[in-house]
Amino acid sequence: MAGDIGQTQGKSKRDGLGPKLLRWWAILSALIIAVLIGIGVYAANRFLPNRPVTYADIRDHFKYGSTGGEANFGFPYWIWQEMPLLCPDYLPADRLAPDYQARVASYRRGETAADRLALSREGYKALGLLYETGPDAREKDLPAGVSRRRNLGLDRVFFNCAVCHTSTVRDAPGDKPRLVLGMPANRLDLYGVERFFFQCANDERFNKHNIVPAVDALGADLGFADRYLVYPVAVWVMRDQVKRLESRLGFYAKQPPWGPGRVDTFGAAKAIFDWPWKDLPDWHKDGSVDRESIGTADFPSIWLQAPRKRRADGKQMQLHWDGNNDKVEERNLSAAYGTGALPPIIDHAAIGRIEDWLLSLEPPSYPYPIDKQLAAQGKQIYAAYCADCHGASGRDFTGAHVGFVTPIDEIGTDRYRLDNYTHDLAVNQGTLYAGTPYRFTHFRKTFGYANMPLDGIWLRAPYLHNGSVPNLRALLEAASRRPVLFYRGNDVYDPQDVGFVSDVPSADGRQFFAYDTRAPGNGNGGHEGRAYGTELPEPEKAALLEYLKTF
Amino acid sequence: MTGIAQRLTKRPLLLAAAAVVLFLIAGGAFLTWYKFFREEPQPDWVRADPDTRFKYGSIGAEWDAGIPYWIFYVLPRMFPEKLPGPGGYASFGVPWEEGRELPVGFTKKVIGFPRVANNCAVCHAASYRTKAGEVPTVVTAGPGNTTNVEAFFRFFVDCAKDPRFNGDNVLWEIANVTQLSWLDKLLYKYLIIPITKQRLVEREAQFAWVYRPDFPDWGRGRDDAMNLTKYFMLQLPMDDTFGPTDMPSIWNLKKYDAPDNRMNWAGDSHDAYSVIIDSALGLLGSQNGPKHKDDFLAQMDWLEEYLRNKPAPAYPFPVDQTKAAQGKIVFDRTCASCHASRRTGTPIPTAEVGTNPDRIATWGKEYAIASNKVVSRMGIERKGLVEEPLTGYVAQYLDGIWLRAPYLHNGSVPTLRDLLKPVNQRPQVFYRGYDLYDPVNVGFVSTGPQAEKVGTMLDVSQRGNGNEGHTFGTDLPDAEKDALVEYLKTL
Repeated sequence: MAGDIGQTQGKSKRDGLGPKLLRWWAILSALIIAVLIGIGVYAANRFLPNRPVTYADIRDHFKYGSTGGEANFGFPYWIWQEMPLLCPDYLPADRLAPDYQARVASYRRGETAADRLALSREGYKALGLLYETGPDAREKDLPAGVSRRRNLGLDRVFFNCAVCHTSTVRDAPGDKPRLVLGMPANRLDLYGVERFFFQCANDERFNKHNIVPAVDALGADLGFADRYLVYPVAVWVMRDQVKRLESRLGFYAKQPPWGPGRVDTFGAAKAIFDWPWKDLPDWHKDGSVDRESIGTADFPSIWLQAPRKRRADGKQMQLHWDGNNDKVEERNLSAAYGTGALPPIIDHAAIGRIEDWLLSLEPPSYPYPIDKQLAAQGKQIYAAYCADCHGASGRDFTGAHVGFVTPIDEIGTDRYRLDNYTHDLAVNQGTLYAGTPYRFTHFRKTFGYANMPLDGIWLRAPYLHNGSVPNLRALLEAASRRPVLFYRGNDVYDPQDVGFVSDVPSADGRQFFAYDTRAPGNGNGGHEGRAYGTELPEPEKAALLEYLKTF
Repeated sequence: MTGIAQRLTKRPLLLAAAAVVLFLIAGGAFLTWYKFFREEPQPDWVRADPDTRFKYGSIGAEWDAGIPYWIFYVLPRMFPEKLPGPGGYASFGVPWEEGRELPVGFTKKVIGFPRVANNCAVCHAASYRTKAGEVPTVVTAGPGNTTNVEAFFRFFVDCAKDPRFNGDNVLWEIANVTQLSWLDKLLYKYLIIPITKQRLVEREAQFAWVYRPDFPDWGRGRDDAMNLTKYFMLQLPMDDTFGPTDMPSIWNLKKYDAPDNRMNWAGDSHDAYSVIIDSALGLLGSQNGPKHKDDFLAQMDWLEEYLRNKPAPAYPFPVDQTKAAQGKIVFDRTCASCHASRRTGTPIPTAEVGTNPDRIATWGKEYAIASNKVVSRMGIERKGLVEEPLTGYVAQYLDGIWLRAPYLHNGSVPTLRDLLKPVNQRPQVFYRGYDLYDPVNVGFVSTGPQAEKVGTMLDVSQRGNGNEGHTFGTDLPDAEKDALVEYLKTL
């Protein structure tokens, strides 16, 4: 019945419409379909591509290449550029020029997009991010350690391995810094970076009304879709994502400031599992801490990984400060979480390139004169005191105890980092990369700190796992004679004491970080006594220092 | 039939349509089988050695009691506030070997999709450390002294009741850890997640008694075993009984071959085989019994063989042999009549021992009869539960007694030294489930900041927790107590 009615109606309509109108209908329908297809093709073209900026040269790949992580927490490129200008007050004021905020606030006459971008970079530099100068003598638009990817219709940026494992060194305050790949990121204030992004994205200023026009002023050249769809949504999504990240990583704010060159690595690992931290005491307010909740440690150097795959008993060396993992590749995947590279999106090929390169990447040799005769004397002292634990030389890592853990009671260095890594965390890490051949199987709770090879030791100051001793000379003193307070973040080298200049509180009006060894987790005790060379006569210490420069 | 066939051959269009329908039905059936019922064997390493098999081998519980692996995986991240503390599943105290994907007693098996369930080791693997700076040693067939089973039960129900346990949120969290196919995402969103949620919520009614505010928490290392049987196997309504007991060790089961021996704390079961089957059926969580009965029974045979012959572990600290020899004399005089005699392994009348009777009140003859019927209906033959009134607690064999702390059936006395004290001198409040061993008092460290942080409190004044009774040997001179404790370390 229903069909019959429909048919009659159809017939009557067709009879009434006539062939001309019918043709119009056909054309209109075709147009609508064409427009829909057009929109579909545009949208697919616009939003589906997911590809990183790639680099043929491995050094560029390390500095600017992707690990895959931008697709997770990656910030929209233009918002990244705008943030220091949007929230200059959340940058560390004592590391900025006094007039920085004023310059950001006033759009000077004739100020160009390039000028605004330079202002943005100036802000990031206060957090210790490092900008290279390109072949065109201009600063690059992103710092070393930040990668870029086209994803979800816009360019997104996030950190890669280099951000924590690259830094600079200078001979004198006026000199140009030399970028060294693979060394600890001595100047990066990751604590400040986290605080800056979390505070800014949570701030009321972080909205499309502020960001879209400001981004235009930076030269973004936003199209219609960008202006009215992509960026407004991006602002909203980013705020949500950063809040989520903060809900997991916010523990940092309860800890004493890390200062440049340090991070609570396994606090961040606990964040992967969303371990609650909100009930922990706040050192800033309560003056107390939970013993397991602080694990701040120095960034390590990452050169020469191949020889770390073998120690005296034929196994791989125990890696990380407490030696909690003895598989280089697994350690790398674990570290890659810090770049946002979660198992479903990680780019194994891109990480693999870096992994292979790091197997044999060597640290730069010591650039200042070495007294060869003195170093030769030092070699004997080194062989007698240090070699068993730290390897035969800066390239030969053989030694009965190299890559093994020395029990905490013996080494006596600050316990916090050790206690921060718990058996509960180790077993949880065994679930990471589940369902893939990469599943983590090598994390172990240990009860001491690992004996490290000393390749490029001159660039690895400050010393001990928590970076609590500014230079090698101080490390050869008894703990009671080591500096109680010193300054971190300077990249001017001090060949006298073998380490970075640490007794200068500021330069060019920028403050360095005052490292207080009395704060929890910052203790400079341990690694002392006769066996550790702190009781050697002065001339022998001098000889030993001279030899260590050859590493 | 032929009529239909003829008609079909006459009308080729209809024939084609029928073929398409049949093909779709067959395809759908295959897909359903593949995505929901296809069984994959566990990987070979699981059965590589008996201890590993006991710890991680499936007993078939994934069918009805299994939780989809990826949901299990993300729940602690989604609902950390419902856990006993930080640490993911480790916060339940489960022994968990470093480098393993799952804690001891947790099995992973693909039935259509990967699922997680439990085996015997979830309650019967002990964990101890001889010093604080040491990774725990796991002893299979030992009492699950650190595991908080009740908190586990609550966690899953609490998660399922939370409105945030929905397809979108669970899938969002899963997307951070693995890449599901488009089809799997759909199946998770519209079937697997909602069904899991529903089945977990359905458990709540049967779990009502674990939420009762007037009952104390079981705490680490205990469960309320007979009530679990009543509410899950027999599906009885909640009554007012509460009888928490220590997880027992289940090593060396062949000792129960002695005549008239009974098993379980109150002698409710006839033999090891029955106990193994009944406990396993509890883990399977099905009213209809095992999915593959023959396979299940073969597993039970293997378990019985393994547990009959698994020895108790040796005491891990030095023992003063001279003193222990003196202690043997005290033992023979004071303890042997119950713990190394014909009475061992048989129930001793409650009046004679005087320990807390609450556990006995949770069970009775009528429940035993009903349970035996349920198991018979599954087509499983076993001697089964004792269809008689319970009269008292079984006098224990003391093999590996050092690792079976806290003591008495309800775990109300932390150490052997405390057990040799008069009742009013035994600890009133202590903490269970911290696995650091105390070789002085012979038991686990049960006081102090770490024990309080890790463990769960036991207050002997609360229901089911009474530490009265078993006053034997409490009036021995100190020197004899010392010697006796030394001897007990050697068992």
